[in-house]
Amino acid sequence: MPDVKVLLQDAPGKRVLLLGNEAIARGILEAGVSVITTYPGTPASEIGDRVSEIASEAGLYMEYSTNEMVAVEVAAGAANCGVRALTAMKHVGLNVAADMLMTLAYTGVRGGYVIVTADDPECYSSQNEQDNRYYALLSNLPCLEPSNAQEAKEMTVYAVEISEKLELPVLLRTTTRVSHTRGPVAYGELKKPNLKGDFVRDVKRLVMVPANSRPKHEVLLRQAAKAKEMSEKSPYNKIVRKGMEIGVISSSSAYNCAFEAAVLLGLDAGILKLGMTHPLPEKMIAEFLNTHNRIVVVEELEPYLEMQVKAIAKDRAANTEVCGKMNVQYFPREGELTTRLVAAGLSKITSKKVPIDFQKIEKKYRAVVKGLPSRPPILCAGCPHRASFYVIKKVGGDRAVYPDDIGCYALGIAPPFGVGDIMICMGASVGTAQGISRVTGRDTVATIGDSTFFHAGIPGLVNAVYNGSRIVVAVLDNLATAMTGHQPHPGTGVTGMQNPAERILIEKIAEGCGVRYVRVVNPFRTKEASAVLKEALQQSGPSVVVFRAPCTLMDAREKRRRGVEAVPARITEKCTNCMACIRLLGCPAIVVEEGKVRIDENSCAACGLCVSVCPYGALEGSCAE
Amino acid sequence: MKEFNIVLAGVGGQGTLLAAEVIGSAAVRAGLNVRVSEIHGMAQRGGAVVSNVRIGENVLASTVLEGQADVLLGFEPLETVRNLRCASEKTLVMMNSQRIPPSELAANNSRYPSVEEVLAKIHVFTSKVVVVEAAELAKKAGNRLAQNSVLLGALAAVEGFPVKSESVVEALLELVPKKHVDVNVRAFELGRETVRKGRKRV
Repeated sequence: MPDVKVLLQDAPGKRVLLLGNEAIARGILEAGVSVITTYPGTPASEIGDRVSEIASEAGLYMEYSTNEMVAVEVAAGAANCGVRALTAMKHVGLNVAADMLMTLAYTGVRGGYVIVTADDPECYSSQNEQDNRYYALLSNLPCLEPSNAQEAKEMTVYAVEISEKLELPVLLRTTTRVSHTRGPVAYGELKKPNLKGDFVRDVKRLVMVPANSRPKHEVLLRQAAKAKEMSEKSPYNKIVRKGMEIGVISSSSAYNCAFEAAVLLGLDAGILKLGMTHPLPEKMIAEFLNTHNRIVVVEELEPYLEMQVKAIAKDRAANTEVCGKMNVQYFPREGELTTRLVAAGLSKITSKKVPIDFQKIEKKYRAVVKGLPSRPPILCAGCPHRASFYVIKKVGGDRAVYPDDIGCYALGIAPPFGVGDIMICMGASVGTAQGISRVTGRDTVATIGDSTFFHAGIPGLVNAVYNGSRIVVAVLDNLATAMTGHQPHPGTGVTGMQNPAERILIEKIAEGCGVRYVRVVNPFRTKEASAVLKEALQQSGPSVVVFRAPCTLMDAREKRRRGVEAVPARITEKCTNCMACIRLLGCPAIVVEEGKVRIDENSCAACGLCVSVCPYGALEGSCAE
Repeated sequence: MKEFNIVLAGVGGQGTLLAAEVIGSAAVRAGLNVRVSEIHGMAQRGGAVVSNVRIGENVLASTVLEGQADVLLGFEPLETVRNLRCASEKTLVMMNSQRIPPSELAANNSRYPSVEEVLAKIHVFTSKVVVVEAAELAKKAGNRLAQNSVLLGALAAVEGFPVKSESVVEALLELVPKKHVDVNVRAFELGRETVRKGRKRV
């Protein structure tokens, strides 16, 4: 976006191109939300990032919390003092926060509280593609699903309003295509934030011992019934297109595809667009069912709407046929929906012909891209993780097992390193390493990033000390939450308000947890780092080696700011084109042209790793050894 | 206007996302409805990057349907080929000639396809191809990195592109860092001129 200050403009009616996530940030300002907490995660990150950039000017409090659970706790504390709050996270973050979510539904909130869950159909940058609408069903909390940036902004405001009316947290569920699609957004009026809360002691409401939880469960169900009434009248649940051939029920970005697919096929389709997808507007849906002979539910991932629509049909519209992906699978249950996929499904259901021959296009395309070199994401030139993986692979070889974690360093699985044997969720490297080490007796090196270590690595480390597990925890500390956009974390000494903070050192935490062997190394000093890692592997209990060097992208930015020029590595006449640098490092700045190794000066970050590893000393340049 | 669909394909770091945002912002300035869709995260690490821009009153979906692009704006030859699925005989493929060899080539000791091979692949889908020497023109404008602005200029000169060049330049001024504005505007003009002249010749 242009200057982030655009978000602060007091200009109702102004139209601006905003990313879905930026629109949510604007919605925060229009709703008077005053406490914003987050843990960064694609596709949710820009919500917190934009707020972080404007928080002090806007008079808000914003923090990058250590994890999503803590983020919800902090915001829920504030919301229970009557302050409006919002927490943003990626879908899997809600798993981390689920313990809090499920019982916060019982206590409720006083100030409006919105939890944004950004789902990732197609796993563009996630380990799974779970459908978080089920959390609404599970917790009995209201859920809103915007389909574009304008709605993302409006629904943020609406979510705060209904949260306050119902005294319940509200889920705002986006998907990658909603969060990461830009569209025109019309500004509304700004609302002055209010950061001043008051805590009123109310044990029956806030202390969830069984005697209080039971009646609060009843309260939750009563409020959910009220929410259902709201859903019946919600301006976001409405028939957006009239038509009698079939009735389509859809939400979120799937709705966009459904509408365009209906137009493409020339279908006389009625479309019921649902923006509030929990609780569902049962009467509205029943009426829609009763005015159509055939209903098609178009939604991404799980048959969340379809299941409920079928239940409604059974009770209230027995003669209407409902289809989607449950019995006959007209639409895929995995991956993201596209207009093409929706058109294919609708075509099967209605026998209308798709006017574009997609199969022909696909056939031609397959032929044209056969053998085309791929371009997967790789570690950047100068990335300190490359040095760390080089050291880890050199020392651990094929002997060791390498549990891996969530972050840029997941790219260590790619050649030439192949470091990464099991990767499941945030922090899991430390725990899975212990199980593997316990039953195989093999050397086990868990690789985990700095931000991930703070997020979920510490309990696992305590467990390793307590239970005497023989593992090495290699913390790849690049001094930022790099993957999601270099957000600060407890180890960086900066807060979300962009103020200085106490810097919490990972090595001190490890020592505090009782780890006896703790070392900090510079990964670019490969010899020293290798010696330390060898020693760590010889310990009888857990050990921690912190590989510390700043993310190369941050480092380059900092150097540019200071006017320091990076002098690229240089290949001398000693080069025998043995390709060791290519084989060992896979650095994008080292290329081969006509059988000869060449340094691409535009991309070389002058990290010196190739200078260190060249067996002939044929490379010249700065080097940390 | 029915709708105008553009697919921008390039490599992380080429300014593909910024170019897409400039088009989107220009469309909003012109009072048009638009969707600009991008994929972040893993895609940033030197990987392939694709943006979809759809302009039109009734546009809802984020991505361009297969075969339905009006323009495939290729920032790099391989990535242009990789995104041909969006092309058909009605599509204009506008491609930067500047190659960025993927690191896989070095590791496998394989070779980058020749210009003829790339063009032959494009011709399977459409005969409408314009190759833009964006690196050269950007250098002429004052900075090799301004290739994205050259390509934006080239796009702005395409017949049927629904946004006036003035709006695109305004959006550029707003979105490009101040100290690089002059170079980028020059690059934009050079890109636009090239396509205009080319059209006259045809």
